[in-house]
Amino acid sequence: MTAAAQAVRLIRCADCGRLDTPGRIVCAGCLSTHLEEHLAAGEGTVATFTTIRRAPARFRDEAPYDIIVVDLDCGVRVTGRLSRASPPAAMGARAYAADGDAAGLVFSMER
Amino acid sequence: MREVSIVGIGSTSFGRHAGTPIEQLAVRAAVEAIADAGIDRSRIGAVYLGNFVSGPLNGKEVLAGLVADQLGLPNIPCTKVEGACASGGIAFRHAVLAVASGQCDAALVIGVEAMTHAPTSQTTSALNCAMDNENDGPSGLTFPGLFGLAWRMHAQRYGTTREQVSAVVRKNKSHGLRNPLAQMGAELTDEQIAASVAICDPLQLFDCCPTSDGAAAVVVMARSRVGEALGRPIDVLAAVQTRGAARIAGHPDLCSFDATVSAAQRAFRDAGLQPGEVDVVELHDCFSIAEIIDSEDLGIVPRGQGGIWALEGRTAVGGDVAINPSGGLLAKGHPVGATGVGQLFEVVRQLRGTHPNQVPDARIGLTHNLGGTGVACTVSILRRPA
Repeated sequence: MTAAAQAVRLIRCADCGRLDTPGRIVCAGCLSTHLEEHLAAGEGTVATFTTIRRAPARFRDEAPYDIIVVDLDCGVRVTGRLSRASPPAAMGARAYAADGDAAGLVFSMER
Repeated sequence: MREVSIVGIGSTSFGRHAGTPIEQLAVRAAVEAIADAGIDRSRIGAVYLGNFVSGPLNGKEVLAGLVADQLGLPNIPCTKVEGACASGGIAFRHAVLAVASGQCDAALVIGVEAMTHAPTSQTTSALNCAMDNENDGPSGLTFPGLFGLAWRMHAQRYGTTREQVSAVVRKNKSHGLRNPLAQMGAELTDEQIAASVAICDPLQLFDCCPTSDGAAAVVVMARSRVGEALGRPIDVLAAVQTRGAARIAGHPDLCSFDATVSAAQRAFRDAGLQPGEVDVVELHDCFSIAEIIDSEDLGIVPRGQGGIWALEGRTAVGGDVAINPSGGLLAKGHPVGATGVGQLFEVVRQLRGTHPNQVPDARIGLTHNLGGTGVACTVSILRRPA
């Protein structure tokens, strides 16, 4: 039995329905300020990935680590970290949001 | 709008100038450009200075005014322009617009950066201000990392190989050996490139541009007035600036930067030219894979063929179209705010026929400057007058 993937926190415009990543001040589609939190299913496909071996100062203790770009099934593209417990990433494979061991989003290649 | 020409150019070497104050680098390039133009300083009606991080790394702002004061210029408008790595290209465009609109007959463009004195962590933090720090930054993504992501997508879609990307590195490092102003020219083998330090997969150290200090300057003038100047004029046919996605989520396709595509299309339309008519290109190869992507986005090389053209030598001096005969960012160096102006300096030397790594009979030249995660872009097209 496999657990459901973690939800991914996005924003949704209450006026036009546009989904987007957090950090928007107004909706980039219609300029509405009625932005609400939207929990999207944390599943998608791997668009691309890389391994950071030379990290900025604040992440140096964590290097090397994998960055993964995931196209969520809801159509939004997000950037996150691949969980250290995960099998290696592969282009086009399914990825699942997981419990965080980093500041931002964390994904795993298995549920 | 009036037609505009470049009548003077100047540049310091790109590399390590630690201990030289940033305004001194800018003044050296500017004095050379004004002397090359052969016009009196009083003819300069505006200064646009491209710079990215003089505040955090040098503790200096209002840099355009500080430099103009050093140069003893009149009480003219002096503006610092910031667009991350595209700061220099944007400064040039604004100077062209000031002259084209009739605000002034001549304008001075300067690009400058001083970075090598600062600890790497401080430099990286300053440069990372150009990233989306709401979504992309918290993951620990870096700018080399962005191009690692792009490389994997390009390889998946077009079959681009390590050998093809290494061909870009070998070409630009080799070109750099022929440019006395370049920071790190070299003759490299594929084995040396592959064996260099891993930065972020698949990028090795030699896939990345160095940290650099340097300055470049050009004087632009209304074409109707170039008779006043001594420097051989070069026509500005297009000076375009565009915006692209400010975050990875906004890029529909990391194999391409939409800001480059739209800037190039507009620039070729303004110039009345086709990409196939360009003889020499200085483009934004901050990382090796970026040259492949940029060459395709500009329409200079067919989509997906960037790696193949590099491997076949078609983008070297003597090939179909010479890309980065200066050595590019990879070998000439990348003093961030100076880079876009340095590209113009290089292309003007090519079109005057005075470049140390001369492209035979170069008539049409193009420069391409890209900032942030592709959020700011300039493309300029220059022509040697008949």
